[in-house]
Amino acid sequence: MTTPITSSALAPSTDYTIHRQLMWRRRTISYIFFGLVLLLILAANIMKGSVDIRFSELWTILASHDIESVNGFIIWKIRLPRAISAALGGGYLAIAGLLLQVYFRNPIVGPFILGISSGATLTVSFVMLTSLTLGMTALNPFMATLAAFVGAYGVMLVVISIAGRVKNAVTLLIVGLMMGYLCHAVTSILVAFAEKEKIKGFVLWQLGSFSGFRWSEIEILTLGGGLICVLVYALSKPLNAFLLGEDYAASMGVNIKVFRLLILLSSCALAGMITAMAGPVAFVGLAVPHMVRLAFGTSDNIILVPGCLLVGAVVTSLCDFIARMIFSPVELPISAITAFFGAPIVISLLMKRKVVL
Amino acid sequence: MMKSKSVLKTENLSVGYPGKTVLESVNLDFYSGEFVSLLGPNGVGKSTLLRTLSSLLSIRKGRVLVMGKSLDTIPAPELAKVMSVVLTHKAVPPLFQAYDFVAMGRYPHTRWTGRLDTEDDRVVMDALSMVRAQDLILRDMSTLSDGERQKILIARALAQEPEIILLDEPTMHLDLKHRMEIMSILKDMCRKKGICVVASLHDIEVASRVSDRVALIQNNTIARFGPPEDVLLEDTVSDLYDFGDAGFSRLLGNIEFRGNMEKGAVFVIGGMGSASVLYRLLSKKGYRVKTGVLFKNDVDYHVAKSLNINPLIENTLQPVSDHSIKSALSALQECDAVVDAGFEAADLNRGNLTLIDSAKQLGKPVFRLNGTPSNGIIRPEISMDMTASTESALVGLIERKMAEVS
Repeated sequence: MTTPITSSALAPSTDYTIHRQLMWRRRTISYIFFGLVLLLILAANIMKGSVDIRFSELWTILASHDIESVNGFIIWKIRLPRAISAALGGGYLAIAGLLLQVYFRNPIVGPFILGISSGATLTVSFVMLTSLTLGMTALNPFMATLAAFVGAYGVMLVVISIAGRVKNAVTLLIVGLMMGYLCHAVTSILVAFAEKEKIKGFVLWQLGSFSGFRWSEIEILTLGGGLICVLVYALSKPLNAFLLGEDYAASMGVNIKVFRLLILLSSCALAGMITAMAGPVAFVGLAVPHMVRLAFGTSDNIILVPGCLLVGAVVTSLCDFIARMIFSPVELPISAITAFFGAPIVISLLMKRKVVL
Repeated sequence: MMKSKSVLKTENLSVGYPGKTVLESVNLDFYSGEFVSLLGPNGVGKSTLLRTLSSLLSIRKGRVLVMGKSLDTIPAPELAKVMSVVLTHKAVPPLFQAYDFVAMGRYPHTRWTGRLDTEDDRVVMDALSMVRAQDLILRDMSTLSDGERQKILIARALAQEPEIILLDEPTMHLDLKHRMEIMSILKDMCRKKGICVVASLHDIEVASRVSDRVALIQNNTIARFGPPEDVLLEDTVSDLYDFGDAGFSRLLGNIEFRGNMEKGAVFVIGGMGSASVLYRLLSKKGYRVKTGVLFKNDVDYHVAKSLNINPLIENTLQPVSDHSIKSALSALQECDAVVDAGFEAADLNRGNLTLIDSAKQLGKPVFRLNGTPSNGIIRPEISMDMTASTESALVGLIERKMAEVS
């Protein structure tokens, strides 16, 4: 790839070779930069908190699998799961958002546009607000997770079964929006009849949190989500073809029906997984793909998919850090921080018209 | 020139949507290295046909054969290697450089990563130089003009290295320069690469000049299919587009707009092309135009015909007869003004000069376009304020004088 400039007659192709090298360097630098930042934030997330833990102590705790001491318990049971789940969650949501932005060719689409979060919210509201928790005085967090799982994937199944029948992506988008409204309508009825004390818990759940993750959940996240990410990465090429629209993609040999199903399934599965475990985390899936496009200077999905995973992890970890630390010991909901960051970024990007899809 | 082979063929094809057949009994065949235009007014089914041929729409009835194989048996990735499309909708993803966009055309040829090898790069550069867009490679797609973007879209289709390229209205929204450039690029693709180009076109004048064959789409089927010289006749074209106020000239290959003829009548004495522009301008301004005496097959004769002006004619290479002059004079008497178009006077058409004198004697306002310098033949005098040296100035003058009179 090291073509020296030999003659000006070759100018265009030589230009392009140089340009490609520059882009390649820019991407490598971006990957390394975000990788380092992620490590830094992960370390900060693990070491900082109501109890600060020094690096040397962290090292011995990690090396010796010490869960007996107080600090060991804090790290292994609280901070490490939380740091990992925030990073994974952010990365997955960003990929889910990227997929739908490409599929709908619309810059203001996020992973929840098809009603995933509304479905989860609906089922969680049943568990948290009604007397379905008969016999259980305190709310069982596992029940909420299970309910959210059912809601998110229930909506996903409905949307995908409809997707097979509609011809047009925009129709599907509207179907998704309508699903969201329907679920919200039922939820709001439940809220109207709910007891006051329960509502606060429900509202906080709706804003998402990465606290209280168990290692078993992280295993599911890593394995299930990881598999989907590999699949999505392998789909980068047809995903790129989709940038030109369904017709062009089909004319280049993409099997539209199969591919549409794969995009929707992957996106909904990732978003549903995070929503079930952390609640609906706003804005990450919408804003991060735009940030990655600009940072890496490309629309090439083979670069954007890993980029989204990385930058999504960075942004969400940072937001979680701020959510924990800024009014410590009071912890803010993660969506408050992500929206705080995300909204201005999206507005300024769209104002500059740099990311018109 | 490559030896032509049939690359695309339809057999008794019906196209359309569920519950609505748009075209039926479509029997067409296309050969390599051939430029075929699909002509017909908007909404007649040109796009539907192209979408069916490219497998974006399913076949309603009949068969489509691509390289001798039935279209529905060819897997999409295989089809993409022999056929590519240029569609009307704007496909402009953000942060996409022209080079990368063209490289998307390599899709059917690259492996799962989509990475380009040196051969792919060569094909992409080749496609870019074919559309004369080498200087655009580093430009972002969103910064390109309509014409530049269309060139890149065509280059993408070329980069697929197909045998057939289907284009839906490739010159829509383009200015004249780019329209001509695109057509010449498409022509080049046929000649140099032996690609079969099938394009739906609006512009019948351009189509008649560049196409090897044209298909006229009308009444839910292909009304005619053949070389434009045989197919594009005066009445077929007027019939196809249902021209109310325009006429097509087969000989000149262009379309003339007819005026509404609501203003007065003007008699133009012309010939040898001196009056063509005047006819057009006067018709446009709404004058009823009469003209004579022209030789048959003079340029003025054909322009007048397509403008629906019936000229008084004389057989070619015979002196203008007294009889013709007499009928010209009777037509002239009914007109409000007379114009000497500055035609070249010689022995054969000397009679036309007497028309000017007669008009003056009749008291008609006589105008003159200062055209061809007279070659020793003395023209009747016309006062300076009734003459002009350009057609537009002259028509302006006529409008003013006519307003004064009435």
